[in-house]
Amino acid sequence: MTPRQLVLCADDDDDILSLVALRLERAGFEVVTATDGDAAVELARARRPALAVLDVMMPKRTGYEVLAAIRGDEALTGMKVVMLSARVQEGDVKLGMDSGADAYLAKPFKAQDLVTKIEELLGL
Amino acid sequence: MLPKGTAVTSPTLSERAVPALAGRLRSAPAAWAFGVGAVAIGVYFLLPPDAQSVFFVAIGFAAVVAIYTGAAINLPRGERLPWQLFAFGLLGQVAGDAIFAVYEISLNREPPNPSVADIFYLAGYPLIALGILQILRRLGGQTSRAAILDTVVIFSGVALVQWVFFIDPYNHMLFGTEFARVVAMAYPAMDILLLVAFAQLLVGPGGRTRSYGLLLSSLGLWVIADEIYGLNVDTYKGGSWIDALWLGSYVAWAAAALEPSMSRIAEPDRRRLPRLTTTRLALLATASLTAPATLLIERASHHRVHAFVLAFGGAVLAALVLLRLAGLVRAVERAGRAERVARWEAEQAQQLLAYQNEQLVELDRLKDEFVSSISHELRTPLTSIAGYVELLLEEEDDPEKTGHLAIVERNASRLLALVTDLLFAARLQYGRLELERSPVDVGTIVRQCVDSARPRALASSVQLELHATDVPAVMGEPAKLAQLLDNLVSNAIKFTPSDGRVSVRLATVEDVVRIEVSDTGIGIPDAERGKLFDRFFRAQSALERQIQGTGLGLYISKAIVDAHGGRIGVESEPGRGTTFVVELPVAG
Repeated sequence: MTPRQLVLCADDDDDILSLVALRLERAGFEVVTATDGDAAVELARARRPALAVLDVMMPKRTGYEVLAAIRGDEALTGMKVVMLSARVQEGDVKLGMDSGADAYLAKPFKAQDLVTKIEELLGL
Repeated sequence: MLPKGTAVTSPTLSERAVPALAGRLRSAPAAWAFGVGAVAIGVYFLLPPDAQSVFFVAIGFAAVVAIYTGAAINLPRGERLPWQLFAFGLLGQVAGDAIFAVYEISLNREPPNPSVADIFYLAGYPLIALGILQILRRLGGQTSRAAILDTVVIFSGVALVQWVFFIDPYNHMLFGTEFARVVAMAYPAMDILLLVAFAQLLVGPGGRTRSYGLLLSSLGLWVIADEIYGLNVDTYKGGSWIDALWLGSYVAWAAAALEPSMSRIAEPDRRRLPRLTTTRLALLATASLTAPATLLIERASHHRVHAFVLAFGGAVLAALVLLRLAGLVRAVERAGRAERVARWEAEQAQQLLAYQNEQLVELDRLKDEFVSSISHELRTPLTSIAGYVELLLEEEDDPEKTGHLAIVERNASRLLALVTDLLFAARLQYGRLELERSPVDVGTIVRQCVDSARPRALASSVQLELHATDVPAVMGEPAKLAQLLDNLVSNAIKFTPSDGRVSVRLATVEDVVRIEVSDTGIGIPDAERGKLFDRFFRAQSALERQIQGTGLGLYISKAIVDAHGGRIGVESEPGRGTTFVVELPVAG
């Protein structure tokens, strides 16, 4: 049986975090969660997930800062990052992509859109 | 250059000459006065002595009449005073000359010294000086401390020279009576008045009218003649060349009065108000040098040196000029201070402006940030609502429950659409829509839009048709154009009752791409057509039928069309249907 890919989900909203985790587990991924930016970075370094789904507006560190930390860490090269945010202006999307995200999805989101994008990024 | 086709004919000689001559007569009485005067002066010198005396008086009298007439013609009643004073002043000279003439012709001798003639002569000078004063007063600029000081300096210089060379000599001459001596000294004393008046006219703020120049000349000729006479009193005889100067003065004075520009003589040349003009400076320099110059002249001509007078006069003049210059320095300092203050104030104003500008930019940023923030806050809970309902719908089999869940989902979508539109509309409020332009195939977008609208059309039992031809590319943003079309098509479906029809047409018309969305719906009355694209506008019929909507759809649609450089219009007939027309310019 192929080992399940590890995905990190970070969001300060518990309801959304549960929803995302549930959807990803049903899609066959192993999920670890964080509710603030610092925890997200720690988990990323400790567990080395294949992909991270990051909310933007989080306490301690924003999604962008987490992204910067991930991209700045040599050990985490190759990790995919999907920004999942209710900030949907063109400027926000551009900032996300320019900062090194692999995808930027808007909230509210369709479950299938998220799963498809993650599978696409992981080459599944 | 004349435009082509204009016929040019020259008037005949007689047609041109007569009007020109008449015009010159009207517009140059001064020229005529000069002409007549020159002839008269010429004639004067050709006459025998007795006739000369009479002719001299005649010319003088003619000048007086001319001056009085000139004032009457060219000036309103209240402004004639200066010229009337001139006329009377010159009349005094004429009267004196007449008395001399009478004595010489009928009694064959000169009148006694002094005589009644002297009264007339001497009375004339103050009158002329008063006349000049009147004109100077009207010109203004004479009451400042600097102007008064200038006058005092000039007066002192003139008085010094007049005393030493013209007045004091009479102290060393033999006279019948002391009274006679005083009368003789009175003449050069009076000349001081005229000289100062002349100087004031020279440096005053007037000077732009021809009449002013003529007046200046006549006064100048007069004083020069007087001074030369004063130096040659013993040798003077009637018929001498000096007479030409007095006669010239009469003629110039008459010309000055007859000149039409004399009415404007008191118009100041604002540029020349008491600043230190070159003329003024020259005059002050001359005045201050009169003492040393006089000393040198007296020494050179072996006259008795008026040591005390020159020393005292020189000291006074030096002090006055110093005072004048001190005033000037103070004025310059004041100007410098004023300039520094003005500059400081300008800097302050500029800083304030820059600060206010920063504030405005910050305020703009805050507004935008506020709107984004609100949008974010609204979308976050909506995410959970939509997400969990989606989950439930997948798991629920009970049709009644799925029905209810579908309603929740549908309303969550509506709420999301509303939030999106509100954010969009709010950002439109704060600025124009910025597009990321690229060549777009409108055909593709229209097809996609119609395809995604088919389920809705089916649900409303409305027929949906597409008639599209190939169209050239348009510079724009695909997402926004899709939003525009979705809006128009969903409106059309929404407002068309069952069994109605919605048609979408796409074609090229000249240099625009034209999209038409027509429906057979409830239509829009004329009265509401103007407000259709206003923010939050809802048509009466829509409200009555409780057709849902925010009133933002068309507002946003118009903004999108405008940002693409296009036009949007509507034609409608209530009860029959509506057609929205969008025209977008072709790329390139």
